[in-house]
Amino acid sequence: MSLATVALLALVFSLLVHDWSTLRGKNRRAFLLQIVVFVAGAFFIAFPQRATELAHFVGIGRGVDFFLYPVVIWLVRESLLTRRLRMLDRERITQITRALAIAEARSFEIPSAVARAEAPPS
Amino acid sequence: MPIAILMPAYNEAGALARALAAIRDTAERLGGATVFLVDDGSEPAVGIDILPAPSPHFRLVLARHVVNLGQGAALETARQLALTSLVEPGFEAYITMDADGQHGVEDVAALARAIQDGADVAFGNRFGTSDVPMTRRILLRAARWFEQELTGLHLNDAHNGLRAFSKSALELVPIRQNRMAHATEIKQRVSRAGPLRIVEVPVTVAYTRETLAKGQRAAGAIDILRDLLQEYLFGEHP
Repeated sequence: MSLATVALLALVFSLLVHDWSTLRGKNRRAFLLQIVVFVAGAFFIAFPQRATELAHFVGIGRGVDFFLYPVVIWLVRESLLTRRLRMLDRERITQITRALAIAEARSFEIPSAVARAEAPPS
Repeated sequence: MPIAILMPAYNEAGALARALAAIRDTAERLGGATVFLVDDGSEPAVGIDILPAPSPHFRLVLARHVVNLGQGAALETARQLALTSLVEPGFEAYITMDADGQHGVEDVAALARAIQDGADVAFGNRFGTSDVPMTRRILLRAARWFEQELTGLHLNDAHNGLRAFSKSALELVPIRQNRMAHATEIKQRVSRAGPLRIVEVPVTVAYTRETLAKGQRAAGAIDILRDLLQEYLFGEHP
């Protein structure tokens, strides 16, 4: 096992341990999916020839490319979708906050009759 | 006719009280002034105790965002309040003004005069009248170049919070950018609104330790670019 393989496996498992300890039982389903993906990733890091066999099977030269292409495409799409959803959420919060502010706006003024009496004659 | 002053405020207690008092003291000379003050989630909230007493020439409308949204959002709330205000006989000019004390009421009067003289939009220009710190000067020059390329408007001052609008012009510039990119968005909308008479008015921006601490930094410029790109990708194009 090469030094790079050991380092990558250590990274994958330390990330899993970190997320496990920080999530503290929250988002269990998402974390389960993360475990499945990470363990699969760890398998192909440990046995890269399996990835290459899969890549050759579908006509891609390197095993790592077989995984990188869809992962990059998926990440870009996910990033754009997340940003769009965050923007929609921000717009909704803005609308609610603004509606509340306008509904509860207070006016500080001298009633017009008083103002006329106080204003110097023109 | 009176003027409307649109003023967003966030954690500005002392400077805000001084700015409002200055407006109140000159309101009669301005022909009457109504301040549409939007407290953008300040902590503590803007209290009634810091507001100057109304006078026959000075009126104040206070609205509060329950959470901090950003200066652009507060300005848009003030814009909507001012445009739907039932004050008679309406406003001759609508002035945007910062609450941190860096803008003076004399400049508010000058901007209002520009609208009275027939301009649709008047932008404040601090260059030539203010002692702008070097780092701020470089940042604003870069922003000016960027905005000229983006909007086609050749203005000297890129991000000056002192601006004036006629009612018809203000109706054409709804603000979607919640944070600091609203200054660029306003110019985009003005540029694309059709034939408007646009002028620049020399104004003074007072740089104090307080205003510099709250002012924009280079990192803020990156935030602005990101917000503009996000709006370009996902928003309604102004």
